[in-house]
Amino acid sequence: MINFSKIWLIIKREYITRVQTKSFLFSTLLTPLLILGIIGFLFFLTLSDNEAPKQVIVIDETGRIFKPLTQLNATRYLPANASQSIEQIRELIMEDELDGYVFFDENFLSVGTPATFVHNGSGGITFFESLRSDVRDVTRQIRLEDNEVSEAVVAIFEERPALENRRLNEEGLDEQSNALISSIGGILIGVFIFIGLFGYGAVLMRSVFEEKSSRIVEIITSSVKPLELMLGKLLGVCLVALTQFSLWIATYAGVTILAAPVAQFFINQRMGDFQNTLTAVESTSKADIDLSFIEQFSIDPLFIFYFFVFFVLGFLMYSSIFAAIGAAVDSEQDSQQFMTPVMLPLLLGYMLNFRIAEAPDSTFAIIASLFPLTSPINMVTRMLVSNVSFWEVTLSILLLIFSLIGMLSLAARIYRTGILMYGKKPTLKELFKWLRQA
Amino acid sequence: MSLIIDVQNVSKHFGKKTAVDQVSFKVEKGQIFGLLGPNGAGKTTTIRMINHILNPDTGSISILGKSISPKSQERIGYLPEERGLYKKMKVFDQLIYLAQLKGLSQIAAKTAIDFWLDRFEASSWKKKEISELSKGMSQKVQFIATVAHNPEIYIFDEPFSGLDPINSEMLKEVILEEKRRGKTILFSTHRMEQVEQMCDDICLFNQGKAVLQGNLQSIKQSFGNNTVLLDFIGDSEFLNKLEEVRINNRSTNFAEIRLLKGASPQTILEIAMKHTKIQRFEIVQPSLQDIFISTVNDTKVST
Repeated sequence: MINFSKIWLIIKREYITRVQTKSFLFSTLLTPLLILGIIGFLFFLTLSDNEAPKQVIVIDETGRIFKPLTQLNATRYLPANASQSIEQIRELIMEDELDGYVFFDENFLSVGTPATFVHNGSGGITFFESLRSDVRDVTRQIRLEDNEVSEAVVAIFEERPALENRRLNEEGLDEQSNALISSIGGILIGVFIFIGLFGYGAVLMRSVFEEKSSRIVEIITSSVKPLELMLGKLLGVCLVALTQFSLWIATYAGVTILAAPVAQFFINQRMGDFQNTLTAVESTSKADIDLSFIEQFSIDPLFIFYFFVFFVLGFLMYSSIFAAIGAAVDSEQDSQQFMTPVMLPLLLGYMLNFRIAEAPDSTFAIIASLFPLTSPINMVTRMLVSNVSFWEVTLSILLLIFSLIGMLSLAARIYRTGILMYGKKPTLKELFKWLRQA
Repeated sequence: MSLIIDVQNVSKHFGKKTAVDQVSFKVEKGQIFGLLGPNGAGKTTTIRMINHILNPDTGSISILGKSISPKSQERIGYLPEERGLYKKMKVFDQLIYLAQLKGLSQIAAKTAIDFWLDRFEASSWKKKEISELSKGMSQKVQFIATVAHNPEIYIFDEPFSGLDPINSEMLKEVILEEKRRGKTILFSTHRMEQVEQMCDDICLFNQGKAVLQGNLQSIKQSFGNNTVLLDFIGDSEFLNKLEEVRINNRSTNFAEIRLLKGASPQTILEIAMKHTKIQRFEIVQPSLQDIFISTVNDTKVST
């Protein structure tokens, strides 16, 4: 019953008129430049010493802590000048001449009175953690010495066993894995899909009420069925989105392929500088870690395939609702009331995404990645962060297809009636009436 | 004569409101058929059903002997009451697209659109967007969109509304020319003088019902010569003294007087002569406007 050649004509028009616009050109070109800039910035951060040196005065009433501290970090810990009063030190901190001071009470070692770190707030949590770890190390060292513990026990305490993070991939090979990077990747991909679903959904909705308010829709429906028009518009806008994404992914792939040799070049240069301070073994292992760090950014083609599958299905489902809203109202302002209930599940998926990126295999992550209203966002994130079993992915796709068909047929009913209705905005009751009409 | 449009017992409801109520009419080949009636009488709904945009709740509609379908849509050129085109699309691309939706191949669409653009001296607009055109120009483009696929049937919903006199005259000429080429034309209007000038058959709508239909001339004849046209110079006050008449149309020196039961044209002439100088006195068939008003009033009484 559906005339595919006419749908094809509609798809073609939607696609061509949109791809030719300046805004499409700009957003397609500028976004990769932005991503490029961010990646460049990240590399800059990882390859440069980003921590500004901090200076902390140690007021050591025990007389035993300052020396080992300077052995840990010679530039950070400064001795307290005997002539300086606490007030003078505080003055220096307020004037930003100094980052802070640590005060060790004379009972610090004997009774365990807590040491105090007074600072100007510039260090942040990382600095505080490193300070605390220094203090703990030194305290432990002193206690071990005081109790005349054997060398073997001291060695046990100084041991730092390594834990390498290797993820088993599809081929059964374990590869270097960085949980932080894949979590961030998971969050980013979720945000990306959310923006894509919402942004292109809004594009579609606007185009529906443009046709309605310019009244051309009556001429179109005297040639094609409303369902054909709606499907053509959905698929046309979807193709525009896919075109844009493909261009971006191609750019991204190009950048990550180029990134490794470029980074290698910089690392080699810097290694020359460090050659004197680092032992040969340490320097090669450092270079290895840096390169695999870049490999973390490359994308698996199978993942791109699933990304497209979930995006297309999610887009068709959500945008059929957007199309129905666009048909039901006459202007963008009127659409707000109906937008809210559609936005809720989309926002839910978006927000759950942050938790799922951290805990990709928790029960709620599994539910969210199967539930059709959130799966387009959450399943893709899970697949990036963790290894999701094939049956879960298949089930999620099937559920999504079923609800997509249901949503399309409901939306088509509202669309069909709505596009020819002008004047006052319909109430929810009227919308239900349109749904019931055969 | 073959039957082109056959509407049988068609009804359409929107919620509790009955928009079209048991309407039937037939349009023969080569006719100009007028749907008339006040706003909200059900004309546009009927036209949308013939165009297969809306489906009737009950009854049936046939086009060229076959039940309406996507195929029948391709045989119709439809100009809706509310005109509309894509504002940001180039004239030529837009016309090609709309003709292709009506089933034309790209090549056939190009040939037809070049012909019509040339005929309306509009070829230079091809690359322009609709938003750049004047209202008159976009009306021409709209008309080309209606006719480019060379349909057998034209359906125009209020075609003259919003047209300037030049475009209005041009449209009238095109309609009459298409009729000579054997095309069938159905149009709706609430302006009676156009119907009187152009239509063969009419169907009069009121409150969703077809209250009067048939050949325009026979309808007028059936009402008889019961109308007096009077041109005069002088005070029109005397018109108020006339009895058993209804004055349909009056101005400072003209009156169209409908004779009701038993009123005699002679009496009117006598009274008029006493008060004014007569320029014209004529006994004619009633105007469609008059027929329309009396029919609508009759149905109001009977319902």
